[in-house]
Amino acid sequence: MIIIGENIHVIAKDVSVAIRERNAKVIQALAMEQTGAKADYIDLNVGPMKKDTEETMKWLVNCVQEATDLPLSIDTMNPVAMEAGLKFCKKRPLLNSASGKSDSKAQMLPLAKKYNCDVVISVMTDKGMPPEVETKIESIMETVSHANELGIPNEDCWVDPIILPVSTAGEGQKIAVGNLEFIKILQDVLPGVKSTVGLSNVSNGVPPHLRPILNRTYLVMLGRNGLYSAIADPLDEELMSFMKGELPQITDLIYRTMDGEEIDLSSLSQKEVAYVKTAKVLMAQTLYSDAWLEI
Amino acid sequence: MEYKAPKEAYKGLVREVTIGKGDKTLKVGGENILPLHFFDEGSLPNPPIFALEVLDIEPADRTPHLIEPFGDVISDPIKWAKKCEGFGVDAICLALVSTDPAEKDASADGAAQLVKRMVGEIKKTLIVYGSGDEKKDTEVLPKVAQVCAGENLLIGPVQKENFEVVGKAILDNGHVAIAQSPLDINLLKELNVKLCKFLPPERVIIDPLSSSLGYGIEYSFSLIERVKQIGIITKDSMTMMPIIANLGGECWKTKQAKENKTQGLLWEGITALSLYLAGANILVLRHPETLKLVRETIGR
Repeated sequence: MIIIGENIHVIAKDVSVAIRERNAKVIQALAMEQTGAKADYIDLNVGPMKKDTEETMKWLVNCVQEATDLPLSIDTMNPVAMEAGLKFCKKRPLLNSASGKSDSKAQMLPLAKKYNCDVVISVMTDKGMPPEVETKIESIMETVSHANELGIPNEDCWVDPIILPVSTAGEGQKIAVGNLEFIKILQDVLPGVKSTVGLSNVSNGVPPHLRPILNRTYLVMLGRNGLYSAIADPLDEELMSFMKGELPQITDLIYRTMDGEEIDLSSLSQKEVAYVKTAKVLMAQTLYSDAWLEI
Repeated sequence: MEYKAPKEAYKGLVREVTIGKGDKTLKVGGENILPLHFFDEGSLPNPPIFALEVLDIEPADRTPHLIEPFGDVISDPIKWAKKCEGFGVDAICLALVSTDPAEKDASADGAAQLVKRMVGEIKKTLIVYGSGDEKKDTEVLPKVAQVCAGENLLIGPVQKENFEVVGKAILDNGHVAIAQSPLDINLLKELNVKLCKFLPPERVIIDPLSSSLGYGIEYSFSLIERVKQIGIITKDSMTMMPIIANLGGECWKTKQAKENKTQGLLWEGITALSLYLAGANILVLRHPETLKLVRETIGR
């Protein structure tokens, strides 16, 4: 699994302050930490970046590249900031992200061709987020075929089904299950494409201390279904252990839960029980509540 | 070829909850079919329970056509409750609004004494709602529970902010809890999980909050429907409790209900009927003519 380190993110206050004040140390520390934790890419989520766009992107990209040899994922909805970022990347970057929206097709996808980079393409369209697996597949087939016409091959497209919080009023669990299905059938409908997700969004709104187990369990589940990469927290050691195959027993329990097996919890450790319960929530076998581990 | 209608059989069961004692005993819930799905395998053993709401203070701004059926007893909660019994209720729902710090901030002791007197004087089971102020209710509801120990009253609202204190008093004094959460199935389940760590689940009734027609009834409808589906179809133990729809107050707040009597009765009636169809087991109304209308409509 390719892990795109998510920790340089303007929503984090220290990051936004560091960028504004050109404090390279803060940014470079985050880049180095994630590199040390064996991330494969460093995501630079700069938000819309409306001010001093070109100059800021140049500074940021160079600042990170001084600290790490990893390739970068330039994460913004602003095509000007995107191009400014891509331009300074030494290694083949990841454009994060384009979508099926008309403006994205017109402005973002051509940049992927121009800079010969990989590109995250989400299932979003002008109508918003397609509600069902089938409509997501339809939407992504159309957008990828548009990318192909621009000369971007399937192999450069990293498809993103859009992960939503599992905790939202019932619908979240249905979407979590749908996205597992989406990843499972993706290779059949678009052979050669890669895939990615914004993993942590699955646990958005959940009490902070309970977020990691949801993220880890879901990544194991998505990985089983063929997910290629994830924007995630490489500093979560247990998450990385799963990805390195160091937790085969728990992984097996998660797989068996996915298959609908009723697992006898009495013979398991507390930690194993927690993972089984979490997998059941993510498979929508039990209704989500913040107390899901306490039942 | 002969058509054979499919027949579903589900694994879940809404717990049968007993409220009141002696000849006042009522059984609520107990169904293992979805609301009114009599064509499926299983049963809905207990009819819906209808209650009329009585306030512990004279309502200040009530529309004339709402207070008219009660006449002058409206200033005396006990006489008001007795009058309601004459309208064919299954239970009386006493709202302790006077204890609300935003109203009279009346004392817990006074409220508890009133509940005790009412229990002694009426022939029907009593449902008691505190003011809903999470903090004040931690004084009022435990007091009510103590003073009426052993009466098996239905007491609430137990909320996430005060479930430990209020739930404990309900447990220790032999009553049933109304677990209330704000129109969200995930929060509703969480509260039940926490409450049922010390209170047996067959002593819990769910109040998902009821919105009236035109003011968000869709949310209440789909939430109640979903609670029943999750409980009965997927056998989720923490949603397998009966549901109370306390809707009268919400309906009579609306401009439409206040405007004229027929409209008011229909507003409350359609709301009640809708939430009954969604799966509510106890319905709390305000107007006796609505009660009659709804009973006639559903033949119960």
